[in-house]
Amino acid sequence: MYGGGSSGTQSKRDMAIEYQAQIPILRPSIHARRANMTVKFQDLYGFTVEGNVDDVNVLNDVREKVREQGKVWWELECSKGPNWYLEDSHVFSSFMNGITLKRLIRKGIPPNLRPTVWFSLSGAAKKKSTVPDSYYRDLTSAVEDKITPATKQIDHDLPRTFPGHSWLDTPEGHAALRRVLVGYSFRDSDVGYCQGLNYVAALLLLVMKTEEDAFWMLAVLLENVLVNDCYTSNLSGCHVEQRVFKDLLTKKCPRIAAHLEAMDFDVSLVCTEWFLCLYSKSLPSETTMRIWDVLFYEGAKVLFNVALAVFKMNEEELLRAHHVGDVINVIQRTTHHLFDPDELLTVAFEKLGFMITTNISKQRKKQEPAVMAELDQRVRRLNSLNGDDKQ
Amino acid sequence: MASSGNKNINAKLVLLGDVATGKSSLVLRFVKGQFVEFQESTIGAAFFSQTVAVNDATVKFEIWDTAGQERYHSLAPMYYRGAAAAIIVYDITNQASFDRAKKWVQELQAQGNPNMVMALAGNKSDLLDARKVAAEEAQTYAQENGLFFMETSAKTATNVNDVFYEIAKRLPRLQQAPNPSGMVLVDRPADRATGASCCS
Repeated sequence: MYGGGSSGTQSKRDMAIEYQAQIPILRPSIHARRANMTVKFQDLYGFTVEGNVDDVNVLNDVREKVREQGKVWWELECSKGPNWYLEDSHVFSSFMNGITLKRLIRKGIPPNLRPTVWFSLSGAAKKKSTVPDSYYRDLTSAVEDKITPATKQIDHDLPRTFPGHSWLDTPEGHAALRRVLVGYSFRDSDVGYCQGLNYVAALLLLVMKTEEDAFWMLAVLLENVLVNDCYTSNLSGCHVEQRVFKDLLTKKCPRIAAHLEAMDFDVSLVCTEWFLCLYSKSLPSETTMRIWDVLFYEGAKVLFNVALAVFKMNEEELLRAHHVGDVINVIQRTTHHLFDPDELLTVAFEKLGFMITTNISKQRKKQEPAVMAELDQRVRRLNSLNGDDKQ
Repeated sequence: MASSGNKNINAKLVLLGDVATGKSSLVLRFVKGQFVEFQESTIGAAFFSQTVAVNDATVKFEIWDTAGQERYHSLAPMYYRGAAAAIIVYDITNQASFDRAKKWVQELQAQGNPNMVMALAGNKSDLLDARKVAAEEAQTYAQENGLFFMETSAKTATNVNDVFYEIAKRLPRLQQAPNPSGMVLVDRPADRATGASCCS
């Protein structure tokens, strides 16, 4: 995939054609259609997906919509010029562009434009431009043979990252993923390597045109897009996010929150993986990518919108659940078959009322001391246990 | 067998242990009867359920398979809170993972449910040539700390179901104490509200 030094100088027309060709219509076999059996197919990003015929129909509809969106982007590019979405390049119309862009992005960035649009809008391009061109090459070659706890863990996780994927689970895929993760572990030694990042980096590799761009996307994600300390030593940022989310659920879905609380069901049980893997392990990849489209433009609160939507979409069923297992089943069944990102994102951004970023930031600030105290208390308790042990 | 004493019990069970000791593999073997060489690394925790029948009761395990990397340990209380049982897993080819297992035992003893049934599982018992932790050492440790101990292999399925079955038998509400092999006394005076659900 990253073997050839293919340059990005294709003409727009070629890209449009290539893009038309890259989304095949899925046709379940006649037997599958008759028997409503499980159908296996490869999605746009090379994942083997198991679904029923309904799922395939949904996916085909979604792809049709993606194609339509592709035309809209194409027309905008024709009328406003390439890179019109970079606000700086169109100072006068930047405000209008901003509104158009937000709406457009929520409808999905066409897969062929995704790498360039992500790279610009997330701030990765800017980040990369502040260091010498050779930064990534120098970094990866300097750390290639180093062995640290992080590199050991990374090596261990390479074959355990989406095993069976047609490219990721090859020596070439492992090597690329390794360079990105090891490189990053040296760039930020506070983060080093945290399990979960392997899945995130793997998807970035599948989307971005080059391994180096994937590295910069990972960097901007951890350093600018997500809240601080999500992945560092005790995942304190992640703990904060969980608390903020619980408050949001109580506000936005009070019946669900009350019901789950009565069952003694902690929503963090399901949300932790969502927030740490950015849904990459839970949702079909094409749906995950649609969330990331919005994530890179609107920021980390998007993860909350989506989580709330998953609960909201299942409100009635969740209210009927009385065991932990039932709740998890409802949620997992939904997420595994969430092939229609539009349905999810409509609920996430239109059916939950406003979620103002500054309010969320305030909530985070408010929760931080409590989280720190709780984590601290645990460590002290454990240390005192060890102390007893020695006596 | 005796239908008169049938009970359905839900039991929360948590698996704890160092990274790559085979926690997920144990669960996968128990729940689906499968083994894969490269199991996806677990983030946060994964949930499974499986039912076993012991004596006069059916135990439905609600299993939380947790992530092993050190920094994830700060999340552990969420998973072991309210658990009826825990399996602490180490890798018999890795001494550090055994040391880590002891810390888990300490933490559970200090903060978990005092009636929690705890099992110590020395996994990867098929890798005898690479053994670093002697079975006797683990056995002694388990005895001293009130755990029961088994060496398991998720790969060959050795002792995997047995661990879960043994836990099911030892759950407080099933125990035929004080004489397990003697006369069967059905203990049902304390049929708590949680066990009284009739619908799924």
